[in-house]
Amino acid sequence: MGVSATQSLPRLAAAGAIVLFALLPAAGLPAFYDSFLYLVFFWISLATSWALLSGFAGYFSLGHAAFFGVGTYTTATLTTQLGMNFLPTVPIAAAMAALLGVGIGAVVFRMKRLRGELFALLTLAVTFVVATIILNTPIDGGAGVFMSAVPLPHILPTATGTIYMLGFIMCVLTLGIAWSVVHSRLGMGLFAIHDDEDVAEAKGVPTFRYKLAAFGLSAGIAGAVGGIHAMYVGFLTVAGTFELSVPLYVVLMSVLGGARHWLGPAVGATFITALLYAFISGGEAMVGRAIVGLILIVAILWLPEGVLPAIKQWLKRRRRLARPETRAAVVPVVPPAAQPIKDRSLLEVRGVTKRFGGLQALDGVDLDVRASEILGLVGPNGSGKTTLINAISGFYPLTSGSIRIDGVEIGQTPAHEIARRGVARTYQIPRPFANMSVLDNVSLCATFGGPARSRAEIRDEAMHWIVFTGLDGKEEALPAGLNLHERKFLELARALAARPKLLLLDEVLSGLNPAEIDNAIRLVRAIRAQGATIVFVEHLMRAVVELSDRVAVLNEGKLFALGAPREVMRDPRVVSIYLGKAYAA
Amino acid sequence: MPSATLLGQALISGVLAGGMYGLLGLGLSLSWGLLRLVNLSHFALAFLAAYLTYELGTNYHVAPWWSAAMVVPAMFAIGLLQHWLFDKFRVNELASLLITFSFAIILEVAIQLYWTADYRRFETHYSTLSIKAGPFYIPVLELVLCTVAGVLAWGTWLWLRRTYVGKALRAAAEDADIAAAYGVDHKKLAYLLSGLGAAYAGVAGTFIALIATLAPAQIWTWLGVVFAVVIIGRLGNPLGALFAGFLIGASESLAMAVFSPAWAPVVSFSVLIAILLWNPEWA
Amino acid sequence: MQHRTGVWRRRRVLTGLAGAGFAMAVGAPAIVRAVPSGKPVRVGGTLSLTGFLAQTAVIHKIAAEMMVEDINSRNGFLGRPVEYVLLDDQSKPDVARSLYEKLITVDKVDLIQGPYATAPILAAMGVAQRYGKVMIQSSMGIPKLQTYDMAFPATPFGPEPDKTYPNVLLDMMASFPTPPKTIVVLTSKFPSAQFMAQGMREQSEKRGVKVLLYLEYESGNRDFGAIAARVKEANADFLWVGSLGLESNQLLESLRKLDYTPKNHFHLYPAPGPLALSPDGDKALCSTFLEPDEPFMSRPGMKKFAAQYTERATKANLPYTIIDAQACGMISEWQILEAGVNGAKSLDDKAIAAWLKKNPVDTVYGTVRFDGPFNHGTALQLVKQVQNKAWKVVWPKEFAAPGVKLIAS
Repeated sequence: MGVSATQSLPRLAAAGAIVLFALLPAAGLPAFYDSFLYLVFFWISLATSWALLSGFAGYFSLGHAAFFGVGTYTTATLTTQLGMNFLPTVPIAAAMAALLGVGIGAVVFRMKRLRGELFALLTLAVTFVVATIILNTPIDGGAGVFMSAVPLPHILPTATGTIYMLGFIMCVLTLGIAWSVVHSRLGMGLFAIHDDEDVAEAKGVPTFRYKLAAFGLSAGIAGAVGGIHAMYVGFLTVAGTFELSVPLYVVLMSVLGGARHWLGPAVGATFITALLYAFISGGEAMVGRAIVGLILIVAILWLPEGVLPAIKQWLKRRRRLARPETRAAVVPVVPPAAQPIKDRSLLEVRGVTKRFGGLQALDGVDLDVRASEILGLVGPNGSGKTTLINAISGFYPLTSGSIRIDGVEIGQTPAHEIARRGVARTYQIPRPFANMSVLDNVSLCATFGGPARSRAEIRDEAMHWIVFTGLDGKEEALPAGLNLHERKFLELARALAARPKLLLLDEVLSGLNPAEIDNAIRLVRAIRAQGATIVFVEHLMRAVVELSDRVAVLNEGKLFALGAPREVMRDPRVVSIYLGKAYAA
Repeated sequence: MPSATLLGQALISGVLAGGMYGLLGLGLSLSWGLLRLVNLSHFALAFLAAYLTYELGTNYHVAPWWSAAMVVPAMFAIGLLQHWLFDKFRVNELASLLITFSFAIILEVAIQLYWTADYRRFETHYSTLSIKAGPFYIPVLELVLCTVAGVLAWGTWLWLRRTYVGKALRAAAEDADIAAAYGVDHKKLAYLLSGLGAAYAGVAGTFIALIATLAPAQIWTWLGVVFAVVIIGRLGNPLGALFAGFLIGASESLAMAVFSPAWAPVVSFSVLIAILLWNPEWA
Repeated sequence: MQHRTGVWRRRRVLTGLAGAGFAMAVGAPAIVRAVPSGKPVRVGGTLSLTGFLAQTAVIHKIAAEMMVEDINSRNGFLGRPVEYVLLDDQSKPDVARSLYEKLITVDKVDLIQGPYATAPILAAMGVAQRYGKVMIQSSMGIPKLQTYDMAFPATPFGPEPDKTYPNVLLDMMASFPTPPKTIVVLTSKFPSAQFMAQGMREQSEKRGVKVLLYLEYESGNRDFGAIAARVKEANADFLWVGSLGLESNQLLESLRKLDYTPKNHFHLYPAPGPLALSPDGDKALCSTFLEPDEPFMSRPGMKKFAAQYTERATKANLPYTIIDAQACGMISEWQILEAGVNGAKSLDDKAIAAWLKKNPVDTVYGTVRFDGPFNHGTALQLVKQVQNKAWKVVWPKEFAAPGVKLIAS
């Protein structure tokens, strides 16, 4: 079977399924199946829209009922109180819900601590507030909204058929959106945010904008779904619309199916909806509910990542047994001759100060780094080396002072912008994106850090650096499957894939054995040979002396000494701060 | 403008009603803050305890304090059992929420199967007693509830603080290896804490039986407000949960006294939103 | 009555959906079956057996099963036995809608019966309307929402209970030795309760009873301390509470804790058992349509129903086993359906509806008619009072049990 056939098979299946479901109402099945499938579509759309933000980016929300409810009541109000036609209210419902989502996001996403349970609780609180407002204003007022006088458009001859079709279109749209998000920069960025938001930002992902976009999409879809559902339910009450079980079931469905996969929530939603309908008869309703609970517990305990990822894993293992992995050939890296150091300063640091409360971490640091230079940055623990790296890469805004790259001020620029201006960094303790393969880790950095390129080019670029750092053969591995040495090199590969002008290395050698250190030093030389400018923080003096063109010594947040490596290292003042006064004397 | 008597009385009723939020929040806050487990079934356990208290009291004429002596240890055991499951499957925060949600559904059904969905009321001659203090009335049962909640919260707080158990557990929640450096067997402690959390649900249940009328679906009515309380009181802080309970109870009650009572639910959640936006480091 | 068990109950309808390749399992309904002669007439309906409306579903289920047996012990429907196909709508209107579609289009039941509570009823009514089915429902307190011309109320609210019933109450109040001059109206923000509360406020003002306080609280409100303090401070001659379930108990207990007993107090739709048995419930007034006393016990079948209900409620472990207006609503539903089928001599929905519109039906609620607006007839909503821990009808006087008098203070 050729490559094109394996790729087009899922597309054919998807197209076939769409056509089949679109024609289903014509099959003359009893109307109940229209309704039942509508409810399946309804839950698929809701669960998938939840996953856009909460599954992909890891911002776990318990407030999905708020967006759904806002959509429901938007359609209800516009049709019953203002006499609008039903269909045009659906996009308005989506817009209102999206507005609420973006509004919440614009406030909340600026606060780094509001993640995890706090975000979940905040969204839950918003749900209660929105519900109470609707209950106590003429939007509902407590009397409920009766939709029976609102005519349903004649998409299909029967009412159930029309509702089915609306739900189906919404479902296809939602899955289409989820699919294209997953296969776009946005999705890649969201997955990175899920794993490590700070690193994502440093690698060039505009995290704030991406989160807002995901929240807007997620809430907007929920709003549109709510608008359609208003017509299905027919009589709306606040208690019934803003029910706590809505967000809980949505979360259950997404997690059960696999919240990080575009199709996962759909699998979970189909499974749970069918399960809830399996026990509807009068005699077994109660016991049935308990059985549903039990099945859910078992499923979550045994498949914590979700059904779909588990199936994918299993298929992958089978495929690997079936045929050995073949890899694309990669051009080996031949380091050219070293580039001469230019006179031009690439990085200009002027009077940089950074305070954390009472702690003066950087105190008026001035430093120039010339293009194609390797600058070693040393100093005792707590002297401000990593803080300086963090300040240059934009992790912290400066208290005062200025930092320029190629003459452009970046002192207050967000980290992802700095990354795009050609600054890349590594972390002392490697911080790979834990749920992405080595290849995806590197590709992400090439996508967001480097110049715009095609997907294939990015893959080639990423493979190039994977081979360059000796990680070939591991590109499909998850970071958890690498040892420390390999993870350090993955850090390097990620930084290099962005094709940086300025590379900031934070203790790449710590924790490596002598052979690995030699290997790493060779790598840094090869990087330099390609023309990058490097600032590296290091404790290992041998490496500092071997690699640096100049060495800068930081002490207590100030620039203490600057010059050629051997001279600086012999300076008694430097020795004294490093080894203590007694040693120097 | 409402009179001073009305406002004072609303404040008293609200603070005392808030004691129940605090008591329910106590166990939830401990397991959430210190074990990173969100136990949605906490409310179901409290209602199971309440139904047991009702059953023992109504059919066997056991006084609630005696039935508490049986019910609370039983809840402790259920807590241990739950924790065994979490421990064995290394359940994370999100999974714990979903598993305990499912567990709460099962408990709800179990309660409905045995006691039916119809309302159950444990009638006692002291359920509506109150003390007169000037123009105000202080309901006795709620006062006892607040005292018990206060003793439990304060005792737990002292235990966590004085013995460094709290620090060890907090560290364990972050990194189990580092926690080992404290020289504390955090696994055993986690079991103890899960048991305690469920036992506190048992205590809350005893009071629910005395104060409220029982129906299976009521398991879910406390969820939102108690969640707000444990966050406002800072996760893992038992005294915080109690005082947050008082705060929310009082502010809801004052809102009901001054505005239309139907607006009251906005209060607790607005306080939560305001606190999180004002100081995200809070919880 | 016997439940089909074993293989029957486990029967699954499997519907393969070829392309998508998934199958869904839909449980077959529990079937109540009688001693048959001929092919059974299947009557389908849902009740909220699980979820937050479940308290009342048990009562309705018992009453419905009683009625199916009762009908089968006579002639069944047109000589054929009646089978009740009961599904669980989980207290959710969207589920109720789909299940009525299942009953009508998949199970192909001959007739349907309405579910309980406003939202599921309206969801089911939409389906009934699309398929032209007669739907009789017992518990929708806002008649104007019943816009389908083949939907019939089993409970005689009358077309405008928000106008008529407050006047029944105001007439009663006027008969007190010292007629109340002031009133406090409290209500749950539950559609049917709020609807009546607004009517009570309007009618009171019209008739010169001063409304000192009108308050709405969230349905499912937890703490009534502050509301009780406001009620106490207003200290009106009459307290009107638009309560559901346990809200009245909670309010009265909170009032007791403030050492305040309202002079006269009325409750709209409370759970009857807990209020009657509560020490604070003494002399509480409440809306009703009948109680198991004279003159109602003389209505045909009522004695038997009352005894049977108590027996079955006890067996089902219900705490309050006396038949009440809830259960009677379901009884009335079946009596009306039976009369319609027999009257029209047909199972055809149109024929049944046409007959019902023209003819009065004798039910446990008395003679009901469907000739007014929204298919409602005469309003027959009464007032009952807790006396010695039991509910007694006290107003209008002609419905009061012999020797029972309205106690006012």
